[in-house]
Amino acid sequence: MLGSIITPDLFASALRMATPLALAAIGGTICERSGVVNIALEGIMLCGAFAGVAVTLAIGNPWLGIIAAMLAGVAIAAIHAFTSINLRSDQVVSGTAINILALGVTGFLMEIMYGHPGTTEAITTIKPIFRFASESGNSFLGTVWHWINTIFLSHTPIVYLTILIAVVAQWAMYNTRWGLRLRALGEHPRAVDTVGVSVLKGRWVAVLMSGALAGLAGANLTLEQVGSFTENMTNGRGFIALAANIFGRWTPMGSYEASLLFGFADALQIKLQIFRGQINIPSQFFLMLPYVLTVVVLAGVVGRAVGPASVGKPYEKG
Amino acid sequence: MPLLELREITKVFPGVLANDRVSIRLERGEIVALLGENGAGKSTLMNVVYGLLTADGGEILVDDKPVRIKSPRQAIDLGIGMVHQHFMLIEPLTVTENIVLGREPGHYGIIDFTTARERVREISERYGLKVDPDAKIIDLSVGMQQRVEILKALYQGVRVLILDEPTAVLTPQEVTELFTVVRSLVDEGLSVVFITHKLEEVVAIADRILVMRDGIVVGETTPGATDEVGLARMMVGRDVVLRVEKGAGTCGGTVLAVEDVHVHDDRSLEAVKGISFSVCGGEILAIAGVDGNGQRELVESIVGLRRPSSGRIELKGKDITHANARASIEAGVSHIPEDRRRRGLVLEFNLAENIILGDHRRPPVARRGIMHPRAITAVARKRIADYDIRTPSERVLAENLSGGNQQKVVVAREIGRDPELLVAAQPTRGLDVGAIEFVHRQILRERSAGKAILLVSLELEEVLSLADRILVIYEGLIVKEFAASKTDAETLGYYMTGGGGSKLDTGTGARQIATPSAGGDQ
Repeated sequence: MLGSIITPDLFASALRMATPLALAAIGGTICERSGVVNIALEGIMLCGAFAGVAVTLAIGNPWLGIIAAMLAGVAIAAIHAFTSINLRSDQVVSGTAINILALGVTGFLMEIMYGHPGTTEAITTIKPIFRFASESGNSFLGTVWHWINTIFLSHTPIVYLTILIAVVAQWAMYNTRWGLRLRALGEHPRAVDTVGVSVLKGRWVAVLMSGALAGLAGANLTLEQVGSFTENMTNGRGFIALAANIFGRWTPMGSYEASLLFGFADALQIKLQIFRGQINIPSQFFLMLPYVLTVVVLAGVVGRAVGPASVGKPYEKG
Repeated sequence: MPLLELREITKVFPGVLANDRVSIRLERGEIVALLGENGAGKSTLMNVVYGLLTADGGEILVDDKPVRIKSPRQAIDLGIGMVHQHFMLIEPLTVTENIVLGREPGHYGIIDFTTARERVREISERYGLKVDPDAKIIDLSVGMQQRVEILKALYQGVRVLILDEPTAVLTPQEVTELFTVVRSLVDEGLSVVFITHKLEEVVAIADRILVMRDGIVVGETTPGATDEVGLARMMVGRDVVLRVEKGAGTCGGTVLAVEDVHVHDDRSLEAVKGISFSVCGGEILAIAGVDGNGQRELVESIVGLRRPSSGRIELKGKDITHANARASIEAGVSHIPEDRRRRGLVLEFNLAENIILGDHRRPPVARRGIMHPRAITAVARKRIADYDIRTPSERVLAENLSGGNQQKVVVAREIGRDPELLVAAQPTRGLDVGAIEFVHRQILRERSAGKAILLVSLELEEVLSLADRILVIYEGLIVKEFAASKTDAETLGYYMTGGGGSKLDTGTGARQIATPSAGGDQ
């Protein structure tokens, strides 16, 4: 039975599942490195998912849907930026409020736009970039090719884009002016201010970037994976992404790797459900897997992981 | 032509006239010391110059041209740099990253770290400020961190460097090194404003001394024209006793006995490697040493904040080796911690709440677990009066008090509890002469009352003037014991540094000066 669980599509599925988590987690990394906690990733992702589907349904072009999802993410993130940077309100409260708002707004818009709650009509999902034929078991080389093809070459564009974003963000954080200032901002904003770099601007840019990335995560969910929007379909992924950010020690590559772990747990969970007839465990336990893993990871790792020193603290010029 | 001139600068805070028509001229290549007690307006004045505060009146001239300075950026562009008391350094970043931040060399937003590192090395060699450009700030000693701050200003091309209480956090060796650096800066044509309240430093380093009191410049002099006593009188406005007189000590029986105590530090390394000593009632025993030689861990093990890994600690014959802080207080141990802002006070609490901390479980402050506000107010008012704490009311938040008054709150609480043993760790750190005199008098009063006092201090002057006996600690061991009357600062310094060995500031190595990180309390 193990052979039918450990298959190439388990790993391919892990990579797919990891993608929205990784995008949001990298967004969270950028945001928190600037000193702003972004607990609103969940809500932003949900809005992105909805905007993507709504625009695709209206215009029929999923690529414009992706852009709409990112713009929606930026718009919601702007609320968070304004309340937590300009108004200096509590960032956790602001984020929580946005999560509740996102849930309400997407549900409400569904009612008035489509006349019913629940799930929207299906759209045509974005297809994988490559289509190479392969099958398992013909020969050793054939099997190797089948594994490689299934795990790495069977994906939709955003999956690859995410890997690219992780690599570029990682490099930029340690090699560019933007990256240095970002890392400094979350640690000691006053020091940044005294050398004449604007704390306000730096944090705004970071929060908006996290919005764009979380919006893109939503687009990946609806436009590449599911093909429709369901109320509250993000289902806690924004929070798992926050955990992935912490587990990845506030670095883009770390976030991506941690997301792979959570994505794998999700993929395994789905796979195991197929075998629930043979394994005598209620399926709810499999469903719990990613969340239990989140708790275990946070409990086991957070004790040692140290975030940016000034994260969550509003900056007051003075 | 003066490089920098201030004309009639006035700065008003609600209810306080911090600077009252202050005029100062700074010439090229001179060191001007700005001397004054805490709250005299020195830092306010310099924050105005650096653009952190805006003056309510007066004007600033650079090269004889009037300028408006609204932000540190503008100050830096005019060639004015400032090293703050709380460093503006980002701890997880490297020396180079900190120095170039805001003016990073490179193209298209990509930082050219090779050039950056070279420039840092170039400046550090030119001014004799040796530091590893790739070390992380968090791994550097406080003295090294200060060098990075100075390098940062030099990288930005400043001509005037303001140093705000630069020696407050330094060891005696680091102070000497800083003075050398300051002189080399002046030799290179820079001008330095040196803010301090320490008299001996002023005499040692300054070309010219400006004394401030209550927001005005009360006098100008040179080191040759006056001495420490004269400066103290100008600064405080009355005669000050720089060295409090004390009578002969008596021994009223052993109060604290420490036997072969071993203690580990936060990194699980052995910081105290087997120390034994005892303190009598009516005696002040001082532990002298360079910061980071196990003093903190030793103190924490005695006051119940850290568990010794082996050994025995007794208070009047009672075993308190494994007592926690509560049990320790109940046994009669009082503790003036070395860092009043982090450990001595809850800054967000008001003065009354701070002044009864530790007594909050017992009558009259609390009965059967219920606190009694009226009793708290009464205790607080009495202690405020007894210890001359200057505050409008007992409801003022601790963070709004001056450093001297904050320390008085801690002293009032710890001594007011009437302990058997007073453990005083650096009780006068960062205080001005008036407040130092006060704290010293309180400690001596406890001694006359027959209490045992364990004093841990980096200030040799303090150790020599207060202690009856002195133990020198080095790398977790007591290396020498002296009767205070039979030694001097030089001898102590010799043993404190490992018998004259070369165990001085090694920069990036082990974190010798292990002060709590400054990042957290910004």
